[in-house]
Amino acid sequence: MTATLKTQAAETAEQHAAFEARIVRGEKIEPGDWMPAEYRRQLIRMISQHAHSEVVGMLPEGEWISRAPSLRRKLILMAKVQDEAGHGQYLYHAAETLGAAREELVDALLSGKAKYSSIFNYPTESWADVGMIGWLVDGAAIKNQTMLAGCSYGPYSRAMVRICSEETFHHKQGKEMIVQYAQGTPEQRALAQDALTRWWWPSVMMLGPHDKDSTNSGVMSNWGIKTKSNDQVRQEYLNEHVPELLELGLTLPDADLHQDADGNWIHGPINWDEFWAVVKGQMGLNKERLATRNAAHDDGAWVREAMLAYGERQRAQAAD
Amino acid sequence: MNGVDVHSAQSQDAQAPDTQWPRWEIFKQDTAGKVHQAVGSVHATDPDHALLTARSVFARRPAAVSLWAVREQDIFSVTREELENGQTLPGHSGEVQSYRIFGKKTHKRSMTFVDELGMLEAACPQAALEAARSQFGDELLAWWVIPVSAFVGSPEDAETVESWFAPAKDKTYKQQSAYGVVGKHVSERNPRVKHD
Amino acid sequence: MTDLTSEQTQALILRLTVLADDELLLSHRDAEWTGHAPILEEDIALANIAQDELGHAMGWLDLRKTLDGSDPDGLAFRRGPDEFRNSALTELPKGDWAFTMVRQYLFDAYEALWQDAAKASTHTPLAQAAALALREERFHLQHTAAWVERLALGTPESERRTRAALQAVWPYALGLFEPLEGEQAGIEAGLLPDPTQIKARWLPLVTAHLTRCGLTPPGAEPVARGTHTEHLALLLAEFQGVNRQYAEMTAW
Repeated sequence: MTATLKTQAAETAEQHAAFEARIVRGEKIEPGDWMPAEYRRQLIRMISQHAHSEVVGMLPEGEWISRAPSLRRKLILMAKVQDEAGHGQYLYHAAETLGAAREELVDALLSGKAKYSSIFNYPTESWADVGMIGWLVDGAAIKNQTMLAGCSYGPYSRAMVRICSEETFHHKQGKEMIVQYAQGTPEQRALAQDALTRWWWPSVMMLGPHDKDSTNSGVMSNWGIKTKSNDQVRQEYLNEHVPELLELGLTLPDADLHQDADGNWIHGPINWDEFWAVVKGQMGLNKERLATRNAAHDDGAWVREAMLAYGERQRAQAAD
Repeated sequence: MNGVDVHSAQSQDAQAPDTQWPRWEIFKQDTAGKVHQAVGSVHATDPDHALLTARSVFARRPAAVSLWAVREQDIFSVTREELENGQTLPGHSGEVQSYRIFGKKTHKRSMTFVDELGMLEAACPQAALEAARSQFGDELLAWWVIPVSAFVGSPEDAETVESWFAPAKDKTYKQQSAYGVVGKHVSERNPRVKHD
Repeated sequence: MTDLTSEQTQALILRLTVLADDELLLSHRDAEWTGHAPILEEDIALANIAQDELGHAMGWLDLRKTLDGSDPDGLAFRRGPDEFRNSALTELPKGDWAFTMVRQYLFDAYEALWQDAAKASTHTPLAQAAALALREERFHLQHTAAWVERLALGTPESERRTRAALQAVWPYALGLFEPLEGEQAGIEAGLLPDPTQIKARWLPLVTAHLTRCGLTPPGAEPVARGTHTEHLALLLAEFQGVNRQYAEMTAW
């Protein structure tokens, strides 16, 4: 804490002005460049939360790999959940370029200190959830990630470029599945509708609190980290997804949903009590998700130790 | 001195309570004839393991034909901003050895950080950097100077190259283009809304 | 291809089913690690192997379809445990990381050698499919051989676990090479490799690597194919559950 304060005190107005001028010029900030301590802190917080979300996000869908009802869907789902591990990997790397150690970030997740996207605390109750997560949850995530691909920090931006291109596969495979089920047998259609009913509001909420209630927005936008507000991104998400879902004859669980004069789809009131309850772990599977991560980490301890011992012995032999 | 990741290098040297293993920067060559580019890093315990891991992480999809791995502490990095502030790389002369030079050329978005520029001989990282600045141009935004001896590379025989990198091309199910008709954009259906 | 006798066709169908069943179940076990591996990079690496094995299984079933018109999904999701032709090696639970890596290593070596031999098959589609799959198996073998070495030579605990895994897996691995009743016609016609010749290459290959790692293959009798453990029915209940629940649905 004192260290942080001291660093901040040492920052001069000239440094800040030069930094902000770089942001205005659209330059990417790179590891090694001067940056305000608060910029670094906010980025590590945001990138690591994002990485944790990918890692925890493997769990609800990963549960269905073993049960996928066709070989093709199984193969696709394996690749998708694998990508989520890959995205976590890219993102931890981006955080590491800011001086964070992956050990510490992972520990913060496992101890429950760090946050991750609460969307992954919702249970996956049927196979169709896999498709709905791909279409809606990944669809919402892509809106956010496309914005972040333009963010001012080079390594985060690069991770996002890569992630967006892979997420597009996730989005499309989910959409393909739901389109097929919505046009399939009555049973398939019912599966799709049930999944939509459960995932619609969580997907709308996952883009974050309304702008008027969002605490970090100002500084994040001034420093080119978030170039659009939560509500802007949410609007893009609605405008893309609502007409396509309606076109399939599916019903959205929002009686107030309507289109305004500009063509924007306007949602009814959001149940933020539910949102915060899930964020705080009072609702949903937060405890179960963390217990699963902890179990995997603990079970893997002997493996990490063994590999390290092997590597150190090999290095010592090479040095002889 | 090492702008890449001083902090994690320290924590790793101090002790390893529950380690995520040492970190290796990975360079990928997309096709024969192109340069290697820094694409990210992996955690691994030894050189062969780092390369095997890099293949799984960075060649799940095309395209790649070669990978290099370097332990993070073997990389000497400096940005243009640091150079303007008078920063230098280690300069105590040792034996002349080969260095690989990488540079970042643009502020534009890209999939990579620094690209391989070439090799040169020098007695220390600082001398290598100075030679690189005159040889490769002084406008670059970031430099990596790495002793050639610090690199390990994926096997170069044709059979292994094919085994590591060719199969990804056939895995069309993980490419978005395999779902082309699904991605019909909404603007065709909802013409009143314009997004930037 | 039109020249195949009925006996030869049956031999091909049998071997393709055996190959597919082994890879389906091994892929299933490997994929159980996705999200639960010892370190993030290995979630990614093992998910690659799981996808490759599933892809191979699908390839073998597609080939079988050209011979008898069978539906790959139908075979995977609608057969009972008594109809599966896999080796019990592939149905055993995933165990710890050492068990998974030792089993995968021994299987990869077998599979790579079988595919290498099958490149010479007189059934051209099989020869082509084997050549494609072999590229991936070469990488798997490098990856799992590296893991076995590191675990065997890591810490006393990892060495103990690796030895235990080898002890448990070895008789099942030997069973991979047991002759299949009904395959002989295919072997004699040059359509299929002879498993005893595959074993003659496999045994020295893996023994040399295990010895380098300080491990000794135990003396044991092979567990023949056709012997299943109680794990298979449980595995299939999970694998086939959703598909069977919606019995009339054919398009997923």
